[in-house]
Amino acid sequence: MTLPQMQPMAYQGGVEPMQVDAPPEDNDNSNEEEFYIVRNPTLDLETYANSYKSLARLHRLMFIATHCPSMRVEALKMAIQYVMGTYNVTLYQQLHKKLQESIGSNATTNLPDVAGGGAQSTSQDIPAFDIHWVESKSKKAALKLEKLDTDLKNYKSNSIKESIRRGHDDLGDHYLDCGDLSNALKCYSRARDYCTSGKHVVNMCLNVIKVSVYLKNWSHVLSFINKAEATPDFSEVHGKDSSNQTIMTRLKCAAGLAHLATKMYKAAAKQFLQANLDHCDFPELLSPNNVAMYGGLCALATYDRNELKKNVIFSSSFKLFLELEPQLRDIIFKFYESKYASCLKLLDEIKENLLLDMYIAPHVNTLYSQIRNRALIQYFSPYLSADMRKMASALNTSVHALEDELMQLILDGQIQARIDSHNKILYAKDADQRSTTFERSIMMGQEYQRRTRMLILRSAMLKNHIHVKSTSGRDNGQAGDAVQSEPTTGQRTGRGDLSNSGEQQ
Amino acid sequence: MISEDLVSTCAELERQELTSPTGEASPQEYAQLLAIYLCQSDLCNAKFLWKRIPASAKSSNEELSLIWKVGQCMWKRDYPAAYAALQAPWSDNVRHIMTTLQEELRSRAIDLIANAYSSIALSDLAAMAGINDREAERISNERGWIIDAETEMVHPVRPPPSSQVITSSEGQLNKLTDYVSFLEN
Amino acid sequence: MVSGLEQFVNAVQSFSSQGNYNDLCEVLRKSTDVLSKNLQHLDNVLETLDPFQHSLGFLAVLFVKTSNLPTHMTPPSGAAEAAGHAEARALDTLVFSQFQNFIDQCDSSQARLAPETYSEVCHAITRVLVEQKRPHKGIDLIRKAIRKIQKHESQLTGAHADLMQLCLLAKNFKPALEFLDVDICSISDEGSQSEAKYFLLYFYYGAMIYAALKKFDRALYFLEVVITTPAMAVSHIMLEAYKKYILVCLILHGKVLNPPKYASQVVERFIKPLSSAYNKLSLAYSTNSCEEVQQCLNLYAETFNRDGNNGLSKQVLVSLRKKNIQRLTKTFLTLSLADVASRVQLPSPRDAERAILNMIEDGEIFASINQKDGMVCFHDDPEKYNTPVALQRLEEEMERCTELDRKILEMDEKFLVNPAFIKKQQCGSTEEDIALAPAMSGQGSSTFTM
Repeated sequence: MTLPQMQPMAYQGGVEPMQVDAPPEDNDNSNEEEFYIVRNPTLDLETYANSYKSLARLHRLMFIATHCPSMRVEALKMAIQYVMGTYNVTLYQQLHKKLQESIGSNATTNLPDVAGGGAQSTSQDIPAFDIHWVESKSKKAALKLEKLDTDLKNYKSNSIKESIRRGHDDLGDHYLDCGDLSNALKCYSRARDYCTSGKHVVNMCLNVIKVSVYLKNWSHVLSFINKAEATPDFSEVHGKDSSNQTIMTRLKCAAGLAHLATKMYKAAAKQFLQANLDHCDFPELLSPNNVAMYGGLCALATYDRNELKKNVIFSSSFKLFLELEPQLRDIIFKFYESKYASCLKLLDEIKENLLLDMYIAPHVNTLYSQIRNRALIQYFSPYLSADMRKMASALNTSVHALEDELMQLILDGQIQARIDSHNKILYAKDADQRSTTFERSIMMGQEYQRRTRMLILRSAMLKNHIHVKSTSGRDNGQAGDAVQSEPTTGQRTGRGDLSNSGEQQ
Repeated sequence: MISEDLVSTCAELERQELTSPTGEASPQEYAQLLAIYLCQSDLCNAKFLWKRIPASAKSSNEELSLIWKVGQCMWKRDYPAAYAALQAPWSDNVRHIMTTLQEELRSRAIDLIANAYSSIALSDLAAMAGINDREAERISNERGWIIDAETEMVHPVRPPPSSQVITSSEGQLNKLTDYVSFLEN
Repeated sequence: MVSGLEQFVNAVQSFSSQGNYNDLCEVLRKSTDVLSKNLQHLDNVLETLDPFQHSLGFLAVLFVKTSNLPTHMTPPSGAAEAAGHAEARALDTLVFSQFQNFIDQCDSSQARLAPETYSEVCHAITRVLVEQKRPHKGIDLIRKAIRKIQKHESQLTGAHADLMQLCLLAKNFKPALEFLDVDICSISDEGSQSEAKYFLLYFYYGAMIYAALKKFDRALYFLEVVITTPAMAVSHIMLEAYKKYILVCLILHGKVLNPPKYASQVVERFIKPLSSAYNKLSLAYSTNSCEEVQQCLNLYAETFNRDGNNGLSKQVLVSLRKKNIQRLTKTFLTLSLADVASRVQLPSPRDAERAILNMIEDGEIFASINQKDGMVCFHDDPEKYNTPVALQRLEEEMERCTELDRKILEMDEKFLVNPAFIKKQQCGSTEEDIALAPAMSGQGSSTFTM
């Protein structure tokens, strides 16, 4: 069979093979997060948690526990319950520690708040730390690891490619189950040498992508998405059978996530909008609701009116996603109908919940201000002049705050307008093309003169071999002397006084 | 406008300073040069001239520091103070230059007001031009600026931009030829 | 001993009369020792030589005399030293008048055969004048000296830096501008070790003069020349120039422009990290907050003061205030003076009015103040480019561009007939001497398209 020989070539194209084992580099997004607290979320924790599997569920619950005191205990309990179904002993211990801390702090500081209702119930059904579970699970994990290792060795000695590949995958699964991400990544990526079909390659890529997302190594995620999409077998059948559709959607979602995390909002919107609801099954990463929310907000923040209409509102596939998030659907429609006040109000309503979503939370403020700016720009676009009082009420803000916002937009060149602060009117500025052209050409000419002069001088400089040599030995006067021989105090104080000459005498 | 006279005197004084055997000029020459720089609004050079005038010259000719006092006020753009400083009894050596300076300063102030204000208090106008209120009224009327008697506000009118470039059509044609020949090469 | 001197005089006289200057240069190169050993007799030698006919010989003697002048950096304290000082001063005065005599009368074509010696004498004379704190005495002399040796007025000589230094110290800038305003097209070939030093110094001092006169665009241009000079090591001149470059950039453009790509790596790698206070200042400036800039100025006041950049750094703050007002003119049609004051952090509406008035006077903004309502109206640049004045300005600019282009073409042609360049084109050798040629001709034709 010649295929195995050729396979490695397919994915060597994009990225250097060893890169898989490289440590995650752009991990610091998570560290930069500011600490904040969400007080009044309207989230149904149970339903929310049930839309995710594996580490996605755990990470999300932990994120909520960090940022929302009122749900902290509940979230940690759910997480503990879920983690007991895995081999992730370390996380179990961590979660218990956190739970202990939060009960402690609740008891001392938050007592009046919780005393009325939740306190009793929580303190009763707090799961106790189970040391036996820890020990037995650790033992079982070690045993399983040993077994899988031995299996793999056997496969290797028999040189059956397919078995070796599966062996690596199983080992990877197990590591993932234990929460050992870097080893999981290693195993999954080792499997690639034993892939015998395009399907295997894509599978390997998906595994690597999954772990890389957990590790927040976004560049890695993107490169393996490229790799998967470039796999020949995959692209051939693409679009026909449903498992391929699922894979496509997974890849798009992962790509969207990676772009979102790296602040490429427009690219993120584009990816999410290509997801297919019927095949959107990726609970290890995100839920269809997430796709709707991430895609919708990114599109709102970065798309102009036409793009929004074409790619979001009239997109038959994305429409289905929007049905999952009716509030978001309303927001987008209100925005499109230029009902900015209600649109902005609705946005404010869902903000709390968004702040509990680990992937979009760091971007909420940026996205919101971009959406706001877009609203401002769109509001003003048909007018020659606009009453800022009306504008302020249409946008839920005060005239003064609006003035500041507009000032920034004008300075950024996003709105061509001027503010009549006296009468509180915003006037569109009609640029005088003729004058600006003259102005620009004169500036261009001056720049040309400057550069050309420099060029002539520089050619003389090079011709005479003028350059600063290292100050070694004999001619170390080169630089040192130069500064000492420079006119010092007299001249310098002279200059110093320049800006405030009035003060002297 | 600064008279041609002052420009050539200025160049001559500068030359004399440099070529004198000591590299220095006489206090009288320094005084004239300083006053001329002020007339030309060349405050930077005036400032550095003041700094390089030897202490002996400054002490032997008290007028020098009086002239520089005007310069300092101009640097701070304090018009009223500048007019006050200009009231010193000038010697024959610099009197004509200082008179020119005063006129120069006044016309500059009035031009600035015309450019920068759509309404200004009569008293402010008078202070910036260094004249009394009646004088200010007269100047305003002369220029067709409306004075609101009730608020004592003057409404200056921006002068039309002056253009006094005269080019012969022949010269224009010449330049055009140059451009075309340049572009074609 | 004396016979050595006699030989020298004879050689100078005979070669000069034959017009055999090449051999004369050779002899002169070897006579430095003889001359140095007979310092006390050199005045006699000078009397036997004619500054015009024997310019080269005269120069050689002057060179030895000036390079043996005592240095007296510290002022005399005791009476004995004071006497010695007076004596030294008399000696200087004599040399000074001999040099003056030489400059007035010498034969330019001979002097140009020994440009290095000529420059060295200028440097030495300048050094003495600076030490004696009488820089004003040398301005006219060095000015003449430069004019005498220059082949054309756009040629840079070693003595240029001397003139700039004297002018700076004497606080007399007009004589310097006469030279600074002419763009340099060629550099006299002095082949000395410190050529780069005097090159850098000329542009550094020039920048200081322009900055003192508030001609910041020229100052920036000169500083850019300094920091883009090829460099293998950190020169202190370059370091100081880089600091000033940041300040002038902020004053002029409101942000620090990146030095051109061809700047030496030394700038990015060593000089930038050495100017951290300045980098911090530009960072503070980018927030548009006068308060932050003020804080930064206070924090690093000592550094700025030590670097002699006190005045410039203060002007950075002034420029930010102006820039903030300019930002207002871009966004508002009308604004109350009180709002202006609060937005640019000025204490009162009256201060805002003054600030705006000053900027109108300097043509930095276009606005009209309405004292009655306490408002200010901002206008666009009234220039509509529809007047003869505007046309004239355009014509002048175009003329300048055409002139520069002509120069570039000329250089291009020179390269095309340069034997080294032709040779390289034919055999593709990579001699260092001609490495520049293709680059230049390439640039020449590419800039032409503009």
